[in-house]
Amino acid sequence: MSVLLAESLQAWWPEILLSAGALATIIAGVWAKRPGPAALTAWITLAASAAALLSAPVPPASATFFGLILCDPFSLAFRWLALGVTAVVVLLIMGSPEVPQQLRGEYLGIVLLVAVGLMLMSEATHLLVAYVSMELVSLSGYVLVGLLDDTRSAEAALKYLLFGALASGIMLFGMSLLFGLTGQLAFGDIHRAVAALDASKTAALLVAISLMLAGLAFKISMVPFHMWTPDAYEGAPIPVTALLSVGPKAAGLALLVRFMTALGPAWPSVGPLMLGLTVLTMTFGNLVALVQTNVKRLLAYSTIGQVGYLLIGFAVHSRLGLEALVVYLVAYLFMNLGVFACVIAVVHDTGSESLEAFRGLARRAPIVACCCALFLLSLAGMPPLLGFFGKFLLFGSAIKAHLPVLAFAGVINSAIALYYYVNIIRLMYLVPAVQTRALIPAFPLRLALVICAVGTLLLGLFPNTLLSLVGAVTSVNLL
Amino acid sequence: MVLSLLLACPLVGMLVILALPKTAVRAIRGVAFVATGLALIIGLQLLQGFQPQVTAIQFQEHVSWIPQLNIYYHLGVDGISMPMVLLTVLLGFLACLASTTITERHKEYFALYLLLEMGMLGTFLSLDLFLFYVFWEVVLVPMYFLIGIWGGGRREYSAFKFFVYTLAGSLAMLLGILALYFRTGTFDMIALAQTGHTFDLAFQKLLFIAFFLGFAIKVPIFPFHTWLPDAHVDAPTPISVILAGVLLKMGGYGFFRIAYPIFPAGAQAFGWLMASLGMINIVYGAFVALAQTDFKRLVAYSSVSHMGFVLLGLASLTPEGMNGAMMQMFNHGLITGGMFLLVGVLYERAHTRDLTAFGGLGARVPVYSAMLIFFSLASLGLPGLSGFVGEFLSLVGGFGAWRWQTMVSVLGVIGAAAYMLKVLQQVLLGPLNDTWKSLKDITTWELCSIVPLLLIVLALGLYPLWLLQLQDPALRQLIAHVVGH
Repeated sequence: MSVLLAESLQAWWPEILLSAGALATIIAGVWAKRPGPAALTAWITLAASAAALLSAPVPPASATFFGLILCDPFSLAFRWLALGVTAVVVLLIMGSPEVPQQLRGEYLGIVLLVAVGLMLMSEATHLLVAYVSMELVSLSGYVLVGLLDDTRSAEAALKYLLFGALASGIMLFGMSLLFGLTGQLAFGDIHRAVAALDASKTAALLVAISLMLAGLAFKISMVPFHMWTPDAYEGAPIPVTALLSVGPKAAGLALLVRFMTALGPAWPSVGPLMLGLTVLTMTFGNLVALVQTNVKRLLAYSTIGQVGYLLIGFAVHSRLGLEALVVYLVAYLFMNLGVFACVIAVVHDTGSESLEAFRGLARRAPIVACCCALFLLSLAGMPPLLGFFGKFLLFGSAIKAHLPVLAFAGVINSAIALYYYVNIIRLMYLVPAVQTRALIPAFPLRLALVICAVGTLLLGLFPNTLLSLVGAVTSVNLL
Repeated sequence: MVLSLLLACPLVGMLVILALPKTAVRAIRGVAFVATGLALIIGLQLLQGFQPQVTAIQFQEHVSWIPQLNIYYHLGVDGISMPMVLLTVLLGFLACLASTTITERHKEYFALYLLLEMGMLGTFLSLDLFLFYVFWEVVLVPMYFLIGIWGGGRREYSAFKFFVYTLAGSLAMLLGILALYFRTGTFDMIALAQTGHTFDLAFQKLLFIAFFLGFAIKVPIFPFHTWLPDAHVDAPTPISVILAGVLLKMGGYGFFRIAYPIFPAGAQAFGWLMASLGMINIVYGAFVALAQTDFKRLVAYSSVSHMGFVLLGLASLTPEGMNGAMMQMFNHGLITGGMFLLVGVLYERAHTRDLTAFGGLGARVPVYSAMLIFFSLASLGLPGLSGFVGEFLSLVGGFGAWRWQTMVSVLGVIGAAAYMLKVLQQVLLGPLNDTWKSLKDITTWELCSIVPLLLIVLALGLYPLWLLQLQDPALRQLIAHVVGH
């Protein structure tokens, strides 16, 4: 037993360090009353966690933590994603004047806690851990959205909380049904139990799965559980919006994939539903994004559209789909966080969240505008950027799985999405500025911009390294 | 390596320009001239080393790029791409000379211009479908900015329309590329062309349509042509030249390089469609051009008409027709490029393109008039100038295969004479409008970018064999490949 525990802890150093570091960061923030020490603690924590992840032992043969979590290559990819998102978001928080100085320590600490939750979500192989990790992410999310001292932030947090609590409840209900049907909580056992399940209980099983899907759909803003997204995104401080638009989506999709692997035998009846929801999600997100005038709401609907593309990788239910999903998530991390970095710079400078604030940005800040155009074109799927390559793989996986309808939907949506992405580029480059004063973003923002731009462009030009890493991730048994 | 060097010229030029301060206008222009000039020199050297009788791909470069998906950085030229590459480097250099009319944001303009040239060259050089698609799309973004920032009129609308139309077409093509890849496991155009005839007819037809959509919008083929007049009219002069001279050819080239060799049965099955659409393009374009009062819009619609001959020649699948189609693409680039330069010269001085506002300029600006007469006659297909050869060959080829479509198409030739002579009459003849009393004649600098085109048009009209022998062996092989199976 103690050997197992030691092995488990060995594999779990990154999470341990992050949790401890998160608490230390909060304390440092409260104690020092200025952001310096807290930021330093956060960076040390992130570096230590990354080092631990890098030197993490080859996944132990036995299930870590008594089969509750699984530190396999699949989760390793998502743990790196979680760390990456967190690191960039920390940069965004440091560069965002919107977050008050005295609150930065708490913000950074909670963001690190979100990272722990995200990692756990991708590792969970047990309903209990799945639920607890999702709640960790959700609760931290509510706090982050509502921490600002204004009514809009409070309203957003309340909406998010109400919807989130409802979704959690529904999911818990679904889990209890599943437990009632199978008598199991661990994913591996559930898989066997579902395979052996009586045909007369299929309907009940489908109800249980649908209810659980609803909870996850809420996390990843899948239609029809997306309603909270624009409101929460609009009210939250922009760095938090950036975090919510990438982190929980990635981890939620990881959990979804593992979930459905456990429920594999039921896929034939769930598949068509997922197919429909995928098409619906991307179409809805992109169509509604067309008419937005607030940049944060626009990006919220764009996120819903992007989640639709990501869901293709899940809905095709193949190894290539999974590979495409991970590649597109990496792309999405860089391009979406990059856009948010630009939004922070613009909103802070103009004090307006309207799209009009982007007018003439090319004159005021040529490099920011150029990076922003790069991210938007990548989101729209223009080669040779990484977003294109991800989409290429996603659409390819749909065609390979003989589901051309998904590829068609994706292609039509890409054309629709071009309109609102290019509209921002048009405002930046083609429309004269209202004021001509140069716009120079804070140093952390510039750093974030450069990191995201280099990732989007270089990985897009040379995706072979990324592809071979991802290939190793998806070739494993997920249970 | 020479092809990579060719691609590197504009790319390096762009990077150097990006590194220069934006006030160093002379240096920026100088770098752009040198970059496009070097590309032209390398292009001419390529021509020197090119062996037309060898039908295989020459100057090949084959480097692994994304091995997991079997994607290669694969470049090469043959008789089909060689004329297109020459056209690109030539117009790329001449339009760069004509870019002195650009008066603001030089740094961005020339950087984007060079990126555009690299994208166009890459499209004509790549032999890997993935690489082809990347270059094909790379062209869109700089074009959007070049029309949108430096254009006139409703430039934002036109630039966006161009972007959306072309992207919609390329996305259809992307699906086709993916379907092809998962069927064969390769993106190599040469390998695909060899296995193409083994696909069943339904698959070939489906994919032919997917690629057709991508190429048809670019050519543009009726009814996908509506972006063209807007984009041409609102683009700045040098960009109109590139747009008409090179970008439209990317669509035509796509048929020669991808759609016909890889889907031979599909191409034959849709021969009637290609011929009929070619006919519609020719006649419809000519009659709409006849109704225009805006000089630039008229030239734009004449492009629609002229590109119809390419389709007709392609659909014929005869050596005459194919040679005519290919030559028509080359000629159209030269002649319409020249026409747009001349429209630009007039617009620079008069600030209007309304044909009815001119009159009697023949005596006022004699050198300009001579140029305009020359290019108008070339455009309407006067024997002895190159435009005639391409159109004639296309019609000869088309007549054997698609008789009534070709007969109707001849109406377009008459239409061309009507609208071109109308231009000459309205601009050069009649009483001189007093507004233009002090109009200045064309300058030597402007002549520099027009005279080379004039000389080539004349040379090719008198001795078309020079171009025909370059492309004929490759085209004959293509026909044998398509018809043989």
